[in-house]
Amino acid sequence: MIQVQNLTKSFKVVTKKGFKKETSTVNAVNNVSFECRPGRIFSLLGPNGAGKTTTLRIIAGIINPSSGTAIVDNVDISKGNEDVKNHIGFLTGSTGLYERLNADETLDFFGKIYRIPETKLKERKEYLFEKLGINEFRKKRIGQMSTGMKQKVSIARTLVHDPEVLIFDEPTSGLDVITAESIIDLIRESKQNGKTVIFSSHIMSEVDLLCDDLAIINKGNVIYNDSFENFKSEMKAENLTQEFINRIKEA
Amino acid sequence: MRDLALIIKKELSELLRDKKTIINSIVLPTLLVPILMIGAIKVTQLISEKNQKKTIRIGLVNAPKEFMTLINNDTLNKMTIYSRTEDFKTLINADSVQTALVFPPDWNTQMDSLETSEVQIFRNGTKDNVNDRVRSLIDDYEAQLKNKRITRLKVPIDKMTPFVKNYIEIGEQKELIGKRIGGFIPYLFILTMWGGCLLAAIDLVTGEKERKTIETTLSLPISKFTVLLGKAIVASLLGFIPAILNLVGLIAGLKLIDGIPDNFKMAINEMLSPQSITLILLLLIPFSIFLSGLIISLIAGATTFKEAQSKATPIIMLIILPLVLAMMPGIELTWATVLVPVLNIGLVVKEIMAGTVDMTQYAIILFSLIAFAVATIYFSYRKFSDENAILK
Repeated sequence: MIQVQNLTKSFKVVTKKGFKKETSTVNAVNNVSFECRPGRIFSLLGPNGAGKTTTLRIIAGIINPSSGTAIVDNVDISKGNEDVKNHIGFLTGSTGLYERLNADETLDFFGKIYRIPETKLKERKEYLFEKLGINEFRKKRIGQMSTGMKQKVSIARTLVHDPEVLIFDEPTSGLDVITAESIIDLIRESKQNGKTVIFSSHIMSEVDLLCDDLAIINKGNVIYNDSFENFKSEMKAENLTQEFINRIKEA
Repeated sequence: MRDLALIIKKELSELLRDKKTIINSIVLPTLLVPILMIGAIKVTQLISEKNQKKTIRIGLVNAPKEFMTLINNDTLNKMTIYSRTEDFKTLINADSVQTALVFPPDWNTQMDSLETSEVQIFRNGTKDNVNDRVRSLIDDYEAQLKNKRITRLKVPIDKMTPFVKNYIEIGEQKELIGKRIGGFIPYLFILTMWGGCLLAAIDLVTGEKERKTIETTLSLPISKFTVLLGKAIVASLLGFIPAILNLVGLIAGLKLIDGIPDNFKMAINEMLSPQSITLILLLLIPFSIFLSGLIISLIAGATTFKEAQSKATPIIMLIILPLVLAMMPGIELTWATVLVPVLNIGLVVKEIMAGTVDMTQYAIILFSLIAFAVATIYFSYRKFSDENAILK
């Protein structure tokens, strides 16, 4: 379960005018609230720069909110953000892998950091390697792997500690359809296993395929938050993409 | 501590699998000093041998017979006799002759009447080999003439020698050499250390951004301070290890390379005793952490390797200048210089190697370096925690 409560994140922006510097404050996320429930997939939609990544980074404990909080699997992120990371699997286009380690070493490193007992880590690693077909290249360095291989290892490292909450920030961005499919499968399977899943995407077909609940965010503000079923029933446009564009323009 | 150890292990594994790091941090530092030593010895030998075999062309005007005999004693000398003073500047520039000596026409008369005469020597000051050999010929000829005059005047030799200079060296060979070349040792260490720390810090911070792994690292359930400390320790190690390898290379070079004078070898061996090495290494530990902290705080906001390099490289001047100062003869370790970073290391290493270090000053330098290291680590943590800079 994720409960996002009045989350605000401000950044200082410095603009240079000749020799003068002007500092202003910009709210990347402004008083955002929503809830993601276990066994359901929550989509966070919005145009570029809307505040999706900032929101997800705050939930994942990577950056601190200016105000408000999020309760992730009963852990309040405002009470120190390290513990919350034990409950989350975080996968984005910018969570790359360490190129000079191989798949085995990568999972060992993550497993030890998550303090998984040695025997359990070994079992979990073998299970994930078998399931994702990593065994044949497990000793190959990440830097020498294809994009598809890397993505499989990324999925394995996201799931190594069997987190209750999974966060995906544009996880299929830039991937070919076959590699993207493995991510879609993972998201589906996580839902079936009763995990709380939140993902952001620009690809409406993916949203249509996976989404149970959604929030649309624009310029840091939530402009829509309801179930996907209700969203579809309220649609005035012919397709999801057009409806999304219209909602953003109206906001 | 467990998390810190995991981060250090991971960062070290990554760095030591990079060929660039292996070459810069292990291969080059180990081979640098022996290569420099062999190079310097060989080049000096080669130049000296080449110079000895070179023919020099001397132009002469009114030269006395005795002097010409001296010149002819060395078959490599070639004489050109001129009947009068020519435009020797042009002739030397055109390489017709390399030097020219003009004696006055009445040279023999002047010598017979025990007068002081004048010899004009046309030369190019940059041609050391020619000038040294001609100077030696003139000195020999002058000595011959002096002896002749002494004999003719019937003055006993001892009457012409008012005193004999007898220098009694009270400084040990170790102290003499330590003070003279001691400044060069930290120069070598610190520059190597700087290079090692710089490459490692850029790879560990900016490299992570370029490889898009910084967000992965920050999503781990470890505090940013532990991550930063792990990176700073690894960067320090990658600066410290090359410095030790420099030392290993120096010791190996002295033991294995022929052509180094024995007294110099002995003095250096004495200088690099286990006690001196321990004292030097003890200083280099906090200094390498200080450098890593400084570099990380400078490059935390950089998004590319190139940007990071351009941000950190100018600082090299702040390292080189104090080191050059430390090598200068007049600059000594005093209570005024004891707290100046880099300069204090340069000076104290000189004192350690000369065996004249004041342990109170040493302790103050060590504590000041620890304080500087703590300060730069804190500062780099502040920069590393800046979300705007690190997630750029």
